[in-house]
Amino acid sequence: MGITVIGMVTVVFFLLRAIPGDPATYMLGDYATVESVAALKAELGLDRPVWEQYFSFVRRALTGDMGTSVVTGQPAFAEVIQSIPWSAALSISGIVIAVLVGVPMGVMSAVRQGTFADLFVMLGALIGISFPVFWVGLVCILLFAHEIRLFPALGASSSSDIFTQVHHLMLPALVLGFSVAAYIARLTRSAMLEVLGQDFVRVARAMGIPERRIVYGLALRNALIPVLAVIGVTFAWSLGSAILVEAVFSRPGLGSMILKAVFARDYQLVQAGVFVLASAVVLVNTTLDIVYGLVDPRVSVS
Amino acid sequence: MNDAAEKSPAASTSILTVSDLCTVFPTEEGLVTTVDAVSFSLKAGETLAVVGESGSGKTMTFLSVLRLVPPPGRVMGGEVWFDGTNIAALPEQQMREIRGAGIAMVFQDPLTALNPVFTIGDQMIEVFRAHTTMNRRQARARAIEVLERVHIPSPVQRIDDYPHQLSGGMRQRVLIAMAIALRPKVLIADEPTTALDVTVQAQILELLAELRSELGMGMVLITHDLGLVAKYADRVAVMYAGRVVETSPIAQGFGQSRHPYTRSLFRSIPRLDVPADQALTAIEGQPPNLAKLPEGCAFEPRCFLGNGREDCRRERPLLAPTDTGLHLSACPHWPNLPESEADA
Amino acid sequence: MRRHLRHPSFSVGLFILVALSIVAVAAPLLAPYNPTHTDLMNTLAHPSASYLLGTDEYGRDILSRLIWGTRISLEVAFAVVALSLTLGSLIGGVAGYAGGWLERIIMVCNDILLAFPGFLLALALVAARGSSLENVILAVSIAYTPRVAAVMRSVVITIRPRPFIEASRAIGMSPARVLLRHVLPNALPPVIVVTTVSAATAILAEAGLSFLGLGVQPPTATWGNIISDGQGYITSNPLISLSAGLCIAVTVIALNLLGDGLRDTLDPQMRRYTGERML
Repeated sequence: MGITVIGMVTVVFFLLRAIPGDPATYMLGDYATVESVAALKAELGLDRPVWEQYFSFVRRALTGDMGTSVVTGQPAFAEVIQSIPWSAALSISGIVIAVLVGVPMGVMSAVRQGTFADLFVMLGALIGISFPVFWVGLVCILLFAHEIRLFPALGASSSSDIFTQVHHLMLPALVLGFSVAAYIARLTRSAMLEVLGQDFVRVARAMGIPERRIVYGLALRNALIPVLAVIGVTFAWSLGSAILVEAVFSRPGLGSMILKAVFARDYQLVQAGVFVLASAVVLVNTTLDIVYGLVDPRVSVS
Repeated sequence: MNDAAEKSPAASTSILTVSDLCTVFPTEEGLVTTVDAVSFSLKAGETLAVVGESGSGKTMTFLSVLRLVPPPGRVMGGEVWFDGTNIAALPEQQMREIRGAGIAMVFQDPLTALNPVFTIGDQMIEVFRAHTTMNRRQARARAIEVLERVHIPSPVQRIDDYPHQLSGGMRQRVLIAMAIALRPKVLIADEPTTALDVTVQAQILELLAELRSELGMGMVLITHDLGLVAKYADRVAVMYAGRVVETSPIAQGFGQSRHPYTRSLFRSIPRLDVPADQALTAIEGQPPNLAKLPEGCAFEPRCFLGNGREDCRRERPLLAPTDTGLHLSACPHWPNLPESEADA
Repeated sequence: MRRHLRHPSFSVGLFILVALSIVAVAAPLLAPYNPTHTDLMNTLAHPSASYLLGTDEYGRDILSRLIWGTRISLEVAFAVVALSLTLGSLIGGVAGYAGGWLERIIMVCNDILLAFPGFLLALALVAARGSSLENVILAVSIAYTPRVAAVMRSVVITIRPRPFIEASRAIGMSPARVLLRHVLPNALPPVIVVTTVSAATAILAEAGLSFLGLGVQPPTATWGNIISDGQGYITSNPLISLSAGLCIAVTVIALNLLGDGLRDTLDPQMRRYTGERML
């Protein structure tokens, strides 16, 4: 797990340094003169060999120092920490909606395979994965914030009232949630169908066990395993969608922060942001692995 | 044709009588009749072997009896008399009660037949609870009893094992235990030993024979292994292309069967008492394409007796009694067969 | 091929894609206006006879921009498919076939890349290299190659032990030849299904990047750009963003239908068992 995080951060680190031209010049903009660029570079440590930069970065990162944001002058880590709650709220509510909607839809589709219900759900899911999430967000803003004034158009507010916050969160969360739900529904349906096609289901029927019990008691338990994997995969993917949702709804969060930092060539911030995102993915996947080991008796938890 | 089966003495004491059972499957190449007007009967306490090549409809016949035909297939017609009731017309709820408790089926591959995420105890308890009002403790006790009955060592520990922790032979025993636990009147064993080692095969079959006599069940043994049939069955039904082509008591032996297909099967068994360099006899031709069966006899293209005969090509022959009412054959030309295969 | 065509999803998907390709190729003929041509007297016009879908804030004809945008999207899709298929197959194929430490190293690197949300990786790459069509294609390809590689590897692992491979080695074929001539062709079918998915995600990714301002830069017309341009006028001229989004959706739906159809026809076992159609 640690390797993956380190690996990911390394990739980003070297990625950012692959930019043509040098960051110091960009940062100084109109004030760039040969001397000032050299001075800035020295200050940022950019004049040292890349490897040295990398190792010092790692060393400092381990102590929680992810550098200083060039734009705000604040420690990068602090910036990142500030935006986490916003992103977490969106991501978590999005995933919860996605699972609560997607999994049952997928299961139902599989159980009623070939019927209109199945067709309907799968058509919906197909549409759900084909429309860009930011477009859906725009349409929802148009419909629910402007035409019918149900939700605010802005994804967040500075109010300290929890209800206002939630109200602002709802539309982005629903947009993200349903978008991810479409993926989850499709993958759940496949997993469930595969389980239902297996021999032990046939045997259970032959033993006279009621169909309801077979589907919801036995088969579902088996389908849980691939469904967990599905959730793990879609979580990582949903982070990408979350960035777009944050952008459309002008909502603060890790995604917005990284975006702004990218435009401002604020590497420290970008690194810090990606590090946190990467860690989140790894954390979630590791947790899922553990749950996986608990649910599937064939796997021993190492 | 089915009259013959019903009028035969066996019908009066049979617990399972199938008449004209038909099951079809729509496929890309057309409607395939997997089970084609199949009729047979089974008495309590006897073992009926059902023999045929893969694809002859053996398994599908019994899935049709239990009404477990997977979609898009469906049972088109026929009657299934079990214990005095035509279960082909029964509502699903009552059919479910019969499955496992009245008629039980043991499937071919023990590896995949058990749910991998539940213990074998849980799975057995599941079956009990579906059919009786036992609570978990009673069900568990009964499960241990039954595991013991099928000779599984240390059942009290084993009951909490997962399927992947057991060997193939033991898993098959567990399946058999689940099947007989509710004392069904009919046990259908679908190739119960094909997926197992030879040494284990004999044990399983002995176990089945034991259970059959103890519980007085009628047993159906589906197999393609003629040796097993000879050893463990009382009667045999031979199937080809979804049709029953012959039913007879075992006593007469395959060598004296009254259908050219059965004879061909028998001839193709390698023998120890012929020179080693003698070529093996195989049945000529290809297995039938069920979507494109000929109008007449399905076996005619490969039949050493009837190949090319006008009447065999034109009309589909029906099962009829031969020289005794117990021995039925679908080949009207059976008298032309050599007396026994020793003379062939 | 005929078998594939019989599947409704596949044929509908294919039909739409062919139609789109024709639009893309014939863009200069079909588009009423040059996509960058500005008509400052008619900015933000509503649909009319001369501007069938209206104009944007610079007076550019939306319809023409959409038609030309088809080129970009299809270019991205095909290029990403070509790149990720080639690269991914090679990497995954070598990993799966070679086994041992080579496989371990490759798969560890692959897993690291896989752990990234694809879009995020593409974003980072475009951020690093600058915003242009080529960089978008490169970034998205690199972001999705790991997935293709992973699928390829697992398929190759099932092919590797097969007797005909052993036979090829036994007659003295070099590992490289065996890989290229025997293993890869057999491994292609499932991988091709994955690549239709990656084509769909590539189009969505390009749209997303362009929407964020990191992808293809104005004034070049790409559907993502158009949506972004229309964002500010969503209440007055919703058609700008809506139409572009619909174009993306139709293309992606077509690709998904194609992929689903392919998957169904290439996997007869599953179809026989469950009669599954993914629509």
